[in-house]
Amino acid sequence: MTQLMQEQCTKAVGNADEINELLRRYGVKFGIYKNGVFNEQFFPFDPIPRVISAEDFKSIEKGLVQRVNALNEFLFDIYHEKKIVRDGIIPEDFIYISKGYLAQCEGITPKNKVYSHISGIDLVQAKDGEWYILEDNLRIPSGASYPLIARELTRIAAPQAFRENDIVDNRNYAKLLKETMENANCGGIRAILTPGRYNAAYFEHSYLAEHTGSVLVQNDELFVEDNILYHRTYSGGKTRIGVLYRRIADEYLDPLNFLPESLIGIPNLMEVYRSGNVGIINAPGNGVADDKGIYYFVPKMIKYYLDEEPILHNAPTYLPFYEDDMKYVLDNLEKLVIKDVAEAGGYGVVFGNDLTKEKLEEFRRTIIAEPRRFIAQEVIDFLDLPILDNGETVMRKADLRAFVLTGEITKVWASGLTRFSRNPDSFVVNSSQGGGFKDTWVLSR
Amino acid sequence: MKRMNFYFSTKLTFDDYVHDHSFALRIMPPESTSQHILSCSLNISPYVPTQQTVDAFGNNVTAGYLRDDHRYLDFEIKGTAEVDSVKHRTDYMPCYLYQSEYTAPDDELRKFYAELKDRYIGSVSDRVAFFSDILSDIIDYKKGVTDISTTAAQAFELKAGVCQDFSHILISLLRMDGIAARYIAGLAFCDGETHSWVEYWTGDHWEGIDPANNCAVNDDYLVISQGRDFRDCAIDRGVMFGKYTKQLQLVRSVLS
Repeated sequence: MTQLMQEQCTKAVGNADEINELLRRYGVKFGIYKNGVFNEQFFPFDPIPRVISAEDFKSIEKGLVQRVNALNEFLFDIYHEKKIVRDGIIPEDFIYISKGYLAQCEGITPKNKVYSHISGIDLVQAKDGEWYILEDNLRIPSGASYPLIARELTRIAAPQAFRENDIVDNRNYAKLLKETMENANCGGIRAILTPGRYNAAYFEHSYLAEHTGSVLVQNDELFVEDNILYHRTYSGGKTRIGVLYRRIADEYLDPLNFLPESLIGIPNLMEVYRSGNVGIINAPGNGVADDKGIYYFVPKMIKYYLDEEPILHNAPTYLPFYEDDMKYVLDNLEKLVIKDVAEAGGYGVVFGNDLTKEKLEEFRRTIIAEPRRFIAQEVIDFLDLPILDNGETVMRKADLRAFVLTGEITKVWASGLTRFSRNPDSFVVNSSQGGGFKDTWVLSR
Repeated sequence: MKRMNFYFSTKLTFDDYVHDHSFALRIMPPESTSQHILSCSLNISPYVPTQQTVDAFGNNVTAGYLRDDHRYLDFEIKGTAEVDSVKHRTDYMPCYLYQSEYTAPDDELRKFYAELKDRYIGSVSDRVAFFSDILSDIIDYKKGVTDISTTAAQAFELKAGVCQDFSHILISLLRMDGIAARYIAGLAFCDGETHSWVEYWTGDHWEGIDPANNCAVNDDYLVISQGRDFRDCAIDRGVMFGKYTKQLQLVRSVLS
């Protein structure tokens, strides 16, 4: 950070309370379930921005585009010919045991062959400056609205910072999203499907609908007739929907194809989708590509599909499924981080050094019994970022969720959600685990 | 090769008016190497426009939407087919090698398989016949003890069930044994309702076996749909709205 920028940030810091108050009034919250009780929490904003240099961003950008393009190729391959399995790059078990693989999606080709329209790729920067991919989120990655609204507010609170520095304007997210939706549009209006008011990300659904000029809908306003998806209008008429950005999970999407007890889905939506009469963002069945077990194979996918060397690296990862890796994991458990492949949102993440001797032993037995259920990773020494804690600047662990949008081509949004852990001893930054967020400034030179 | 006339009907009657009724039927037998559909007509009452699609498993899906109030939905198919069971289908999918919702074994079923697996060594077809023999010895064919939501593990615990349960248990055993297997819903000369049986992958093609009757599948069987288990093959699935919608379903099928 330059001297000037530092000063300006400090000025912005002076406005932190004001910004948080504005965020509260805007209703920037996320919901969380604990023991079956729904609570809305304020997602705390930290005013010191994360700054990414133009040079750093350029290489991240290239790496992310490459990764998302390979993941899209992979999804097309898995739901069609499965060449990557046949050629022995990925063992068959990893595909078909994955909960994210949906046999119902076999043979479906979404418009323009795009499966992951909106990819949320989580990265961390290590102390040596190297960026590592932590995980891919290709189902319904959330969080883009937080940095957007934070930027709007910081621009009000510290306008000089934006006048005097070369910060890439990030207010084009809605435009990018709209382009992406239009590329998947099969003829009709754009709609964003929300499960409703009590969903964790409801704020974001309404924000994005407003900013992309899409209708915000719930399932009881939609129906399928003559293999077309319609929105029921107030006057009793119907409007055709050409692309549906759904913010509900695959298994609830269509009670006649997936979970029959789903009350938030649209019966026969999958038939409309299979026939190419509606675009669904992101494509159902994407879970097979962002499975924590499949993560290990993404660098191999890049070589296989694109014949390129991966630009961005995975965190060093071990699969207990392989004998050598199992031995390493059992021998080094106390220094590794173990992730349950079936969990998300920071749940099911265990740090070996937090466990007692007995717990470690117990965990070893669990891994031996269910090797496919876990991946193990080296703990990356994250670069700490400054945050403001009761008026003092302290250093905390942080990651970056980059948003990568695939329309006609794949583009990286020059911003992202920087999440940090408020607890000094924790590496877990997820909002559901009590983290906060800050604005991400990408410099244009 | 055998030529047959088929007829199948379902009557759904509701206690009160329902509306906004979306449904998906899997009742049109597919054209394949082992069966040639000479004619097939579908009638639905009350009248409702429908659309045909083909799902991931190769089943014909008839989808419709009845917005207005109605108290019943009847549908029937009739047609003529030529069945040639010596010509085999080859539409393999790797998911058939993996357990699915209805076939996932519990500890008991796993234990049963573990005790059984080394008692017989032979070709894939021989092993399948062996498993089917054992099932016909220990599982009673009995109506009314299971329903459409009964899993392989539950039926195995009861040691009783109908054709659907025999199919699920056999599929579970075969998949544990590393043999890809799929669930078939169809019509058979031995059954006045719909019947169910199993197809297993020999390494080269699908071969049919009827575990409820413990016999090989011949020209007396007409395939209507296939999938990982019953869930993929439900004849009709629907979602509707109404006050009190207890429904009664009557099914009749005839092969001649």
